[in-house]
Amino acid sequence: MSRTITFSKALNEALHQEMERDEKVFVIGEDVAKMGGDFGITSGIWVKWPDRAFDTALSEAAIVGLSCGAAVCGLRPVAELMFADFIGVCYDQIVNNAAKLCYMYEGKASAQMVVRAVTGGGIRCAYHHSQCVEPWLMNVPGLVVVAPATPYEAKGLLVSSIRSNNPVVFLEHKGLYNQKGEVPEELYSLPLYQANVERSGKDLTIVAAMTMVNFARRAAEELAKEGVECEIINPRTLFPLDKETIVSSVAKTGRLVIVQEGPKFMGYGAEIGSLVSEDVFEYLKAPVKRVTSLGTPIPFAPVLEDEVLPHYDDVLKACREAMAF
Amino acid sequence: MTLSKDQLLQRYEDMVLIRRFEEEVEKYSKKGTIPGFIHLGIGQEATQAGIAASLKETDYKFPDHRGHGIILLSSHPEDRKRVMAEIFGKRTGLNGGRGGSMHVNDLKVRDMGNNAIQGSTVVTALGTAFASVYNHTDDVTAISMGDGTLGEGTCHESMNMAATWKLPILYCLINNHYAISTRYTETHPQSQLAEWAQGYCVPGEVVDGNDIEAVIEATGRAVQRAREGGGPTLLEYMTYRWQGHFSGDPAAYRPAGELESWKEKDPIKRAREKLMDAHGVAESEIQAVHDRVDAEVESYVQFSLESPDPDPAYATAHVYADIEVEGR
Repeated sequence: MSRTITFSKALNEALHQEMERDEKVFVIGEDVAKMGGDFGITSGIWVKWPDRAFDTALSEAAIVGLSCGAAVCGLRPVAELMFADFIGVCYDQIVNNAAKLCYMYEGKASAQMVVRAVTGGGIRCAYHHSQCVEPWLMNVPGLVVVAPATPYEAKGLLVSSIRSNNPVVFLEHKGLYNQKGEVPEELYSLPLYQANVERSGKDLTIVAAMTMVNFARRAAEELAKEGVECEIINPRTLFPLDKETIVSSVAKTGRLVIVQEGPKFMGYGAEIGSLVSEDVFEYLKAPVKRVTSLGTPIPFAPVLEDEVLPHYDDVLKACREAMAF
Repeated sequence: MTLSKDQLLQRYEDMVLIRRFEEEVEKYSKKGTIPGFIHLGIGQEATQAGIAASLKETDYKFPDHRGHGIILLSSHPEDRKRVMAEIFGKRTGLNGGRGGSMHVNDLKVRDMGNNAIQGSTVVTALGTAFASVYNHTDDVTAISMGDGTLGEGTCHESMNMAATWKLPILYCLINNHYAISTRYTETHPQSQLAEWAQGYCVPGEVVDGNDIEAVIEATGRAVQRAREGGGPTLLEYMTYRWQGHFSGDPAAYRPAGELESWKEKDPIKRAREKLMDAHGVAESEIQAVHDRVDAEVESYVQFSLESPDPDPAYATAHVYADIEVEGR
């Protein structure tokens, strides 16, 4: 049975149900046990399973390193990084260790673990609590980068990430935590590596992830009034990317706008633009457009942060330019 | 602790095996037959043989980048030629030639693999030790590290967590005095790095790393402590590498006479003298060990030389547990 709950509650429910189902699942991180996580995502787990929820010192390298070692032994760690920016202090463990273990052990063992990381801007916390870190991770073979956009996806994708035998960096955009949506009460999973077509249309493809999906939906509604039918693709798994769904959509529409939080240069928008150019160049009716953050650290003052993050008006503008080309 | 004659003779053979193995690796590395960098453990055999002898098969081992010896002695005898073949980058290598000297692993004996980033596995080791506690087994985790490794911040995170949670870990710090060219006394305030453990309420012990019996005694005590829930120990084995940091490094940074003085403390020579003087082992018995090991290592070399290269297509296998990546 479905009911309306927040993105946060959906994540919390996924953790509870997976902990219930599989005793090899445990949670580890800073303040994840007694406090239930700084954003409340692990709330109630320690109360139910005091032996499977671990508060640690401020030691991200140890949290992720321990998770790698435990995963190789068959456990299923779910580690929390309070802010994705903290990947900076455990990057070695994610990139040089977790991502390599399946390759190193020739598939006999792997880092079957989830690193939940709270990502993105908009909460006025400046450049150490607001970055979009996807590009740091998407050039590392062996890693999986998952980025849900709705409460329904949050639960279903977290469940499949926990069950995955690969190391998954699960990005939770803090701007989505309070967003509400329909979520089935029962346990379910959504497939990894599969994009979702949020809305079908024949004129223009918009690729957007996490909070940017909301921009894409609003823009599609607005453009519909002008007779433009947008197709919205939400990758769900950013890496490895479901190229086929994107490419076949652009083959149909001939126009592509990518809406991506984070700097434009070397963001995933660049990769999507490239692969469309490689695979379906002959179908393109207009240049590929990208709407992104500015190429700066995320500043603190609201007026400054708003200047840097992607603007909704720019999404409309990019779509209209693509249509007019 | 005194080993029996047979025990000491066995450990002697282990050390000779490591040395002969490393000598052949060096030879084929210099010829260019073995690609890449090679870090040799010649001079440090007692630490590797002693640590390996103190662990059981189901204990988790994280050898260091100079750890061919522990890898070799932990593997099943029939797999030892495959350790060599891995270093040669051959299809028959323990890991199909994908890891080479710095990444040999063998999960069936819980050799979790060595690593080319100092301090990286120091925190991974928390996880195998954590799993032993979580699963209520008595398997301990032994992480080998060098004196240079202790400069990495992960050592702090690891020891702090292991000490707080009483995780069954042995920090086996093989102090060969140099991190490439830099002496540990130039980069650490302690005269002995084992003192470092005091800050974490962890026992730290300095061990004569060229005395196989001392290594086995101290390691065995730490293993027992960890198995019984007593938590981690930092063992600092004082030893010396005879070669440079990598095969081909002339090691010009070492003062004159230092290498020679350590060669006097050769762990193999010391064990041989003990065997002959205290246990009455005959020269011919010692010679038989050397002959046996020579033939054994020669067979590894032949196996490696005759083995085929990996199939290039194998480069793309096992990047992910469930999906394939694109090949050429």
